[in-house]
Amino acid sequence: MSEQDVSTLGPVDFLVIEFPAGHQNFTGEIAEELLALVAAGTIRVIDAIILTKDEDGNVDAAELADAGELGELVELEAELAELLAAEDVANLANAMDPGSVAGVLVYENLWAAPFASAARRAGGQLIANGRIPIQAIIASLEADDALETTGA
Amino acid sequence: MPLRAARVGRVGVIGAPVAKAAVVASAVSPGPSPIAKAAVVGAAVTPGRRRRI
Repeated sequence: MSEQDVSTLGPVDFLVIEFPAGHQNFTGEIAEELLALVAAGTIRVIDAIILTKDEDGNVDAAELADAGELGELVELEAELAELLAAEDVANLANAMDPGSVAGVLVYENLWAAPFASAARRAGGQLIANGRIPIQAIIASLEADDALETTGA
Repeated sequence: MPLRAARVGRVGVIGAPVAKAAVVASAVSPGPSPIAKAAVVGAAVTPGRRRRI
């Protein structure tokens, strides 16, 4: 990761993608799509690790470089900043079910950086953000439908 | 396969145990049909839809 003015940095997010035991079908498609996002300048991958949780809940963490044949991910791996500390592993793995494997990604939302910078230059401060779960949208729509039906 | 030494002994950035998020697929499956439900959600976020207050 090259040095960068913090004011031009896009929001940084993380994802933990779990692959439950028996539902692991790695075809290379994930890497392909990830590389496409990077190539398009949508995101910059800051860190990536692979977690494995055994049936007893013990967690093993591995570097992307240790994941075997990386293919085109080699280039991406060389640019990782190793932001996550060892103490982050337990916190991240808390979300995993026993017997699963998970990929952890930390990435900068490059697409949002110019907007965020403009907002900062205008004196704005981010005071809240978040993601609206699809479940919440469904619940809202169902409540809306119920209101229309009953007229309440 | 251990993590690289550079990760050890540093202060973490995650801060607290991460809770498992609800899996979207399971939320879309109940009800009339997953496809119908997905269509409804899609309609809810369609440009031009106006909120009623």
